[in-house]
Amino acid sequence: MTDGHGHGHLVSFDPTETEPDPHTPAAGRRAVRIGIGGPVGSGKTTLVAALARTLGGPGAGDTVRLAVVTNDIYTTEDADFLRRAGVLDPDRVEAVQTGCCPHTAIRDDITANLDAIETLEERFGDLDLVLVESGGDNLTAVFSRGLVDRQIFVVDVAGGDKVPRKGGPGVTTADLLVINKTDLAPLVGADLDVMRSDAARMRGELPVIAQSLVEDPGAADVGAWVRAQIAAVDAPVG
Amino acid sequence: MRARASLTVERDPDGRSSVRELRSQSPLALVPRRGTAAGRDPAVTVHLVGSASTPLAGDDVELDVRVGPGADLVLTGVAAAVALPGTDRPSRLTVRVDVGEGASLQYLPEPTVITARADHRTLLSATMGPGARLRCRDVLVAGRSGERAGRYAGTTRVCDGSRVLLVQTQELGDAVLQGSPAHLAGRRVLGTEFLVWDADPQVASAGDWWSLTPLAHRGSLATAVGPDAVSTRRDLDAALLAHPGWAAHAVGG
Amino acid sequence: MPGLASLVLADSRFPGGGHVHSGGLEEAVARGLVTGLDDLGPFLRGRLRTAGLIAASFAAAAAVLAPTRPGPTPATREPQRAPDARSDSGLPPDRWAELDGELDARTPSPAQRDASRAQGRGTLRAVRAAWPSPVLDALVAVHPRPHHPLLAGAVIGLAGDGPAEAARCIGYLAVSGPASAAVRLLGLDPFAVNATLVRLGDDLDDVVATAERAAHGPVADLPAPSAPVLDLMAQTHARQHGEHVRLFVS
Repeated sequence: MTDGHGHGHLVSFDPTETEPDPHTPAAGRRAVRIGIGGPVGSGKTTLVAALARTLGGPGAGDTVRLAVVTNDIYTTEDADFLRRAGVLDPDRVEAVQTGCCPHTAIRDDITANLDAIETLEERFGDLDLVLVESGGDNLTAVFSRGLVDRQIFVVDVAGGDKVPRKGGPGVTTADLLVINKTDLAPLVGADLDVMRSDAARMRGELPVIAQSLVEDPGAADVGAWVRAQIAAVDAPVG
Repeated sequence: MRARASLTVERDPDGRSSVRELRSQSPLALVPRRGTAAGRDPAVTVHLVGSASTPLAGDDVELDVRVGPGADLVLTGVAAAVALPGTDRPSRLTVRVDVGEGASLQYLPEPTVITARADHRTLLSATMGPGARLRCRDVLVAGRSGERAGRYAGTTRVCDGSRVLLVQTQELGDAVLQGSPAHLAGRRVLGTEFLVWDADPQVASAGDWWSLTPLAHRGSLATAVGPDAVSTRRDLDAALLAHPGWAAHAVGG
Repeated sequence: MPGLASLVLADSRFPGGGHVHSGGLEEAVARGLVTGLDDLGPFLRGRLRTAGLIAASFAAAAAVLAPTRPGPTPATREPQRAPDARSDSGLPPDRWAELDGELDARTPSPAQRDASRAQGRGTLRAVRAAWPSPVLDALVAVHPRPHHPLLAGAVIGLAGDGPAEAARCIGYLAVSGPASAAVRLLGLDPFAVNATLVRLGDDLDDVVATAERAAHGPVADLPAPSAPVLDLMAQTHARQHGEHVRLFVS
């Protein structure tokens, strides 16, 4: 979906457009940008920490040089959480203030997020991946294609097994749907099979990964998907 | 009353500073500090004395101060200036200072009290040579205790060579502005202190009602707003403690 | 009549990053200085007549400096603009440097300089696509993050609207953003906040008149009204980012 990104002058802020912002400062190939969205409490920050551990540390595959932009209400506790996760230098996290409008900052007016990405790119030079974590929002929030190359939408079984059926742009159009906290399914009476089949019906060919970060703290499947995107996305010259 | 006063201080071959030219004109008198303490101090201290109750409406006072290369001058006020009503014309005070290469000036007038029917305008225009140091304190009090302020507008403009460092106009006496949480938030006293004094602060410091901020090109500005002149000056002093160049100077004497 | 440029720039949906700035309102709310509609009005009025007047004046000066639209379009919308119209592009960058330096000198708070430049940088992405011009390049050559009032004023000038329109647009933005932030932070009745904003009409007219007059004079004489508490709050807001939750950048 980044095919044919050119070097035209116009910046489109239509989220259905496919051109990334052409004013990126990096020469050559820039970092692949992946958005992680989803409702409050669905486990976005924990997934970011898991991906940082899996991709940023030694393990399967090359070490991915990554940085994180977070749109969540970000305090020193959040920074401490990521630091304690032991995998992400706080310098690699940029917090964006969204003026109480988390969906605006990732979709309608992506300026603050582009600034944060550029700050990280200037600070670290060679980055392979920038994860952009949205603030917790509702099911209609999606990332602008001017901001990210791919997006992951995270829901969790504790939010109810009806969530995939409800649809909304996040569930239906995200490049990857993650159904989180599968270990809780028996406790909250959620039917995983229903969630999977509803998701498949709503999403057609688009992939779905059900996972439990309790059972797989490294989010191996999502990590593998992210690696595939880094390889596949031809991040444009700035 | 129209008055033109001027003061020139230069550095002597022995490294001490001395007054070369001093012209007072009523209502503004310039009085050099004398005595043994003054004799030991390599800097010159001159007191500004309002010889009548200044400023009165209609007064137009100008003061030119020149500090020659390498010389050091401290210019202080001895009594709070009270801007009083007189005729229907505003009172004006214009101070032009020129601080030469490697010279220093501390301009520390006493607080200006803007009484109820005053209409007072000031302009402080400063130019600085290479390596010059400048400290300008300005404390404005909106009316005497329990009194509304008259009108006041004072502009400060500081240039370093051809670069402009600070341009700022302070206004008092407008009830809307003074009550606005954006302006004085109902407080009565506004203190500012401009400093170019060796090392500038790298980052801003701030307390609840004061801040010390590095300016864009050179120098810094301390700002404090308070309920009275004493606490406002105390906050300005707190701000100056955060200034590396000034703190080193204050400790080193 | 406002032209399209000033309508677009003043639109809250304009994608220039303005919605993440509260113009000091978040800190004023945190300090209990603004708690509701009764003190929102005075906050906005004070802001408009200080920071707003400076921004409006520099926007107006930038609109005078930026060349008007080349071509046969008659300069009839702003009759007083004609003597100042410049049809040649490629103005010497030192005029922009002078405006940039004088605006810096009127902004003693680094947090406010940063906020102004962040909004300028954000606006630049959008306006370069919409109004490409060597004049914008000259402005960016002075500083890669141009002050928002200079950039917005230049765009409005380039689009053929005059300095008064630039002043009105930027003066309005100086209060519309904080007003919107008040709705979000305090949960105020949006109709009442909107009415509060509209009641600033006379103040905005005064700001526009002063800014437009000043825009035709020497840059050094542009207004410089100080807003001491806004300056203080900008710094404490920036400091709080490290310690407490702040939802706006400024």
